[in-house]
Amino acid sequence: MHELGVALEVCRMTEARLGADGVAAVRAIGLEVGDEAGVEVGNLQFCLEALLAEPPFAGARPVILRRAGDVLRLAFLEVDDGCTND
Amino acid sequence: MAVRTIDVRERVMARNDAIAAQVRERLRAAHVPAFNLVSSPGAGKTLLLERTLADLGRELSIAVVTGDVQTQNDADRLARHTDRLVQAVVTNGACHLDARQILTALDSIDLESTDLLFIENVGNLVCPAGWDLGEDAKIVLFSVTEGEDKPVKYPKLFQQASTVVFTKLDLLSHVPFRMEQAVRFARQVNPDLKILSTSALAPGGMDQWYQFVRAHARRPVLR
Repeated sequence: MHELGVALEVCRMTEARLGADGVAAVRAIGLEVGDEAGVEVGNLQFCLEALLAEPPFAGARPVILRRAGDVLRLAFLEVDDGCTND
Repeated sequence: MAVRTIDVRERVMARNDAIAAQVRERLRAAHVPAFNLVSSPGAGKTLLLERTLADLGRELSIAVVTGDVQTQNDADRLARHTDRLVQAVVTNGACHLDARQILTALDSIDLESTDLLFIENVGNLVCPAGWDLGEDAKIVLFSVTEGEDKPVKYPKLFQQASTVVFTKLDLLSHVPFRMEQAVRFARQVNPDLKILSTSALAPGGMDQWYQFVRAHARRPVLR
């Protein structure tokens, strides 16, 4: 069940990044997951959805991008700066 | 609102790997070799270590960190064969050890008086491959009661390992295990694998393993 551990680490990395950038909310979290990463993608998706339902992530959706090899990487964050576009 | 995308491209395992680097640095500073024993459940990791502690414990000071999903049964078994404290890590459901657990365990090990550290990982051929513990090498135990094709089914762990230790050789005549085929599969995924054969229950069945252990311990062995 290390997908939960991976999901928790993704949340920690995201929080650290959001704190550094001072953004209001995260809308999506993009993860690159390799076929040989030792991660069951459906399980990881389930864990991320459960964790992202809670603050400070409420409303964020996981986006899992399948890749070749053993890559396991936080690829991007789609964030809301909390201000209007002029 | 202004929605934008932040390009991150950061490895999820980066923090574990940074802690593993700390473990490696501490072990190397103390000149303590460390081996991460991995296998499927029931391959004989604990029995191999029991025999090793019982037979080599007087000539080598061997430290052990052992991980289990639940219970400290393995640590209790090992503790009967050594005066040293066996570090038990109960993962509470996690399917592998991580570097943070090893770094914490090192705080309770007198590295100055340690010739060799064994880490007995949770029985699992998938997840331990993703988690560097700061060891010098992974050693895969491969029991003759398993299928010969384990290396090609779980290539990542066999690719990462330096050594395969076949176990339960005393059962070879009772099971349909083809050793040559298993070795062929192992070499197919990792041509550099060192291969040892053991039986923890047969006379002389641990000789190859003990030779390996003595060769890798910190101090020259005086006998």
